[in-house]
Amino acid sequence: MNIALWSAKTGLDAQNTQMAIIANNLANANTTGYKSSRAAFQDLLYQNVRQVGAQSTQNTQYATGLTLGTGVRIVATEKDFTQGSVTQTNGSLDVSIQGRGFFQITMPDGTLAYTRDGSFALDNQGNVVTATGYPLSPAITIPQGTQSVTIGNDGVVSALSAANKSTTIGQIQLADFVNEQGLQPTGSNLLIESAASGAPQVSTPGTNGLGTMQQGALETSNVNTVTELVNMIECQRAYEMNSKAITAVDQMLDYVTTNLT
Amino acid sequence: MDRGLYVAMTGAKQIMQAQAVNNHNIANSSTVGFRADAVSFVSQPIYGVGYPTRVNAVASDSGTDLSSGVLQGTGRDLDVAVNGKGYIAVRGADGTEAYTRAGDLRVGPTGEVTTASGLPVLTEQGPLVVPPATNVTIGSDGTVSVLPLGLAPQAIAQTDRIKLVNPPQKDLQKGDDGLLRLKSGAKAPADPGVTLTSGVLESSNVNAAQSLINMIELQRLYDFQVKSMSSSDQNEQVAEQLMSNAS
Repeated sequence: MNIALWSAKTGLDAQNTQMAIIANNLANANTTGYKSSRAAFQDLLYQNVRQVGAQSTQNTQYATGLTLGTGVRIVATEKDFTQGSVTQTNGSLDVSIQGRGFFQITMPDGTLAYTRDGSFALDNQGNVVTATGYPLSPAITIPQGTQSVTIGNDGVVSALSAANKSTTIGQIQLADFVNEQGLQPTGSNLLIESAASGAPQVSTPGTNGLGTMQQGALETSNVNTVTELVNMIECQRAYEMNSKAITAVDQMLDYVTTNLT
Repeated sequence: MDRGLYVAMTGAKQIMQAQAVNNHNIANSSTVGFRADAVSFVSQPIYGVGYPTRVNAVASDSGTDLSSGVLQGTGRDLDVAVNGKGYIAVRGADGTEAYTRAGDLRVGPTGEVTTASGLPVLTEQGPLVVPPATNVTIGSDGTVSVLPLGLAPQAIAQTDRIKLVNPPQKDLQKGDDGLLRLKSGAKAPADPGVTLTSGVLESSNVNAAQSLINMIELQRLYDFQVKSMSSSDQNEQVAEQLMSNAS
């Protein structure tokens, strides 16, 4: 097996994965609450062909050795949790989080998932649910005949009844994680707790370092399309170089087979 | 036996190894903090009975290119790049202290700060651990300050300082895991002169154009070696013909 050939092959693999990540970021440039991902590259192990410093005789040592690298791999993808910009929508159930924290969502199997996407809607029972129809936790139900819903900075939800009487109907709680990059994305704008994220710490918005709520606004994706495009160009060129390296080694071997027969 | 054939064969083999090093560099053109490997050839005369006419080439590391890569802004608090010379101390998988330029750090579930590949970042006392925090900031001298979870902004506290080192380049060597260590196996002393910039990452220092030129050059050199192997082969064939005609 030719190490020069396989080294370049790992480069192609890694750049291909990188392109998939960039494409996913660009595809989600307009997804509410989406956090961009990036790939972390790492060099693979080195093959020690000749150990530097080994004894060349009893009294002398090799001054230089030879180590051959074996390529590259993508060791992790990490999400960038910086705040996305906030757009005004004026929808009464559109809520953005200004600062840290995640909304808690009850999944169909009863477990909790977490999201930054605050574009909520109502189901036929008056429950506040996500666009996918999963209820917010703790559950909030808007009574029938409600004229308007107000969500305060601290997450208190109050409804104005037909008789012009305002009543508190619930409190939105936010969850925070020690290592939010350890959360596992599951699609549908949801993230789930993992061993790496640590346990959720649930508090009222605005306390314990959590962000505050803003009604009538949504947090847009934090994908920087210009950065992604530059990354894409770089990725494409790196891919081409690796493919050129494979061609070069192929030609070298081909030269042997055609000339030494 | 035609010894020339073996000299050419050795040359071709060593050039293929140099090509492997070059391809490894190209494959790592996107690896944060990667340092390109250089390879050179050493002539190795073969001594024996008679006059030493044969000189084999032996590929050998001529070290690692330790020049800086380009800085890319990322805006992430835990991305740091070392300004100028110097390294971040980490604990390698084998438990020894090693040095890297890759500053894409992260905080683990128990608060330990690691590199993207999961190696713990070291302070002078040991691994760097931060309490649960809303915000972790890394200062230019490696000082880490955290705002513990649930406290007001004025409660920001300094926890520890990342160990930054700057040993002489000649003392450093790259290990099998791609991390730099002191050749002597000792720990380098912390250097207060090394500074960090947060929110940026240092890209790989592989020069794409140069790597491509190297690749072409190595390919042609390889062709030369193969050509001279093929010439040796022809010489032998002619010699064989002459001998069979004579008999």
